[in-house]
Amino acid sequence: MTSQIRLHKLTKRYGTLTAVDDLSLTIPPLGVFGLLGPNGAGKTTTLEMIEGLRKPDSGEVWFGTLDIVRHPEAAKARFGVQLQTSSFFDLLTVAETLDLFASFYPKRLQTADLIERFDLGEKADARVKTLSGGQRQRLALAAAMVNDPEVVFLDEPSAGLDPQARRHLWDMVDGLRQEGRTVVLTTHYMEEAETLCEELAIIDHGRILATGRPKDLIAERMPGALIELAPDTSLPLDVHLTAMTALDRTDDAVTIHSSDLAKTLVDLVSWAQESSADLAGIRTRGATLEDLFLSLTGRSLRE
Amino acid sequence: MSAVVALVQALFRNFTRNRQGLFWSLFFPVLMMLVFGLLGNSQTVNVKLAVVGGSLAFHQEVAGALAKSTIFTVTTMTPAGALSAVRAGTQDAELVLPARAVAGQPAVLHLYYNNASQASATQAVAAVQQAISQIDLALSGRPPALTVTPRPLSGSRTFSYLDFLLPGLIALTIMQGSLFGLATALTRWKEQGVLRRFLATPLRPVQFLGATVINYMLTNLMNTVIIAGIGILFLHATVQLPIGPLLLSVLLGLSTFISIGFLVAGHAKSQEAVIPLVNLISFPMMFLSGVFFSLTSLPKFLAAVVSFFPLTYLANAVRGLMSGQLTGVSGALWGDIGGLAAWTVVCGVIASRTWHWE
Repeated sequence: MTSQIRLHKLTKRYGTLTAVDDLSLTIPPLGVFGLLGPNGAGKTTTLEMIEGLRKPDSGEVWFGTLDIVRHPEAAKARFGVQLQTSSFFDLLTVAETLDLFASFYPKRLQTADLIERFDLGEKADARVKTLSGGQRQRLALAAAMVNDPEVVFLDEPSAGLDPQARRHLWDMVDGLRQEGRTVVLTTHYMEEAETLCEELAIIDHGRILATGRPKDLIAERMPGALIELAPDTSLPLDVHLTAMTALDRTDDAVTIHSSDLAKTLVDLVSWAQESSADLAGIRTRGATLEDLFLSLTGRSLRE
Repeated sequence: MSAVVALVQALFRNFTRNRQGLFWSLFFPVLMMLVFGLLGNSQTVNVKLAVVGGSLAFHQEVAGALAKSTIFTVTTMTPAGALSAVRAGTQDAELVLPARAVAGQPAVLHLYYNNASQASATQAVAAVQQAISQIDLALSGRPPALTVTPRPLSGSRTFSYLDFLLPGLIALTIMQGSLFGLATALTRWKEQGVLRRFLATPLRPVQFLGATVINYMLTNLMNTVIIAGIGILFLHATVQLPIGPLLLSVLLGLSTFISIGFLVAGHAKSQEAVIPLVNLISFPMMFLSGVFFSLTSLPKFLAAVVSFFPLTYLANAVRGLMSGQLTGVSGALWGDIGGLAAWTVVCGVIASRTWHWE
């Protein structure tokens, strides 16, 4: 039975930049937990402090009753880690690489089983430098699994993967969850966060903005529905529509937030008739994590 | 412990499978040995020649004529002074004129030389023989009758340039293999995130560093044995092999250049930055530290500076032992060993204080 991970008032500075700012967070055991935020939000630094790879300037990190800041080696033995840019010795084979990593741990899984599980059978005796992006990714995952870890950390696991390889990765992450491991991952893809993560922390400028289940976060903080219009619609910014809660204008769209979609739409249509405005391309949808992030920070996840 | 063994094995495989790396660390020195050892015997030399004895007139005639040649730096000396000067290496050879010898009359002139101190001893002998027969002809107007008999001072073997070059190349290979090889590999692993991935496991940093040192010791010892083997078996270099003192010198040389490699890699941020830095350190040593030619051909002040270079210590120690000039751990070898040990300690301490994993 694995334990929860608790971060308490964690701070890390690089020179004048505060990468992680007085951050507190509890990651429950079992399931998939996501750190969602744009590049440079402090996700990787936070993850590396949990992994025992980086010492915080102040604050505490606990894995159950284990103090990770003081005893990183003990924590590392129970963790599996896939770094954002993990590379291995180019001229070793896949099997040799896994054997090498296995030798660092007291508790080991069989290399042959890992090779089969991560679909590397054809490449078992191929050198690492001959692997494709997707194969490298699977090797990195297999290497994170050699010690049968309680917690698996994945830093931007789907970065640079094509859609098919990403879908494959999601299946593998789901497999880890089903085996009763905790998976902690960082991402800036909202689809990934919505599909994979049971619980999320939205992070920006080294601080937590919101935590919770993706659906609950949206339901609580972004209730109602959204109406999207073409970006050149001549809707004035100070327009008053029934049940409208907010109005965003970006380069891509004009978005009306509504607590009662039917009433707002009726009002919108009558405004369009009066001012003979064109509503071509109008559509309605529920809010997403992207909208939530935009409303929390005023900027997009992909910036 | 098994983690260190596994890591050494992995590093060793990664090294032996790297064809480009093998070329530079192994085939390159062998190529140099072939080119310089077989074709490089025609270099011009300067021979410091002590002239001893003979009648006053004949002595002045011979010494004066020899001094006109750009090859010789001639000094008139007493027999005892000349002999110790040649032994100490401050004079390259001693030419002894028999008391009653005159030009045109058959006589034997003995030429003593130290066969361990000069790369070009055979050339020096040939040059003296040629010069004496010309002087003889010029003075007497008759076919030369004076003969010069070479008398090597230690041992009776002839000394070829290859015998001089091989120990130098071994020292050079050790420097390139450990300094260049290690610094570029460490920087590459740092840049690619290989080191960070190791740090995310329970492997302790000291285990990784220890395995790296062991691997570079092993691979460079292997290179040394291969290069010496090719030189001795295929190119017929004549060398002594006092294994114990040689191994001690080579291991100290390795630890020196491995420390310098860590020192350089601890600072460099990228592959692009590390290669010029390594070349800046190794190129002056490659050409000045007595790998290809003796330090005696450098200007005095430069030779004084170069004598403190780590490659100079290593080349001197290996050459001294392989030429038979130094026997066992004694005398001059202590100076070289002490120099290497000092470099290892200084660079090792600085490297351990300034090393960064990222």
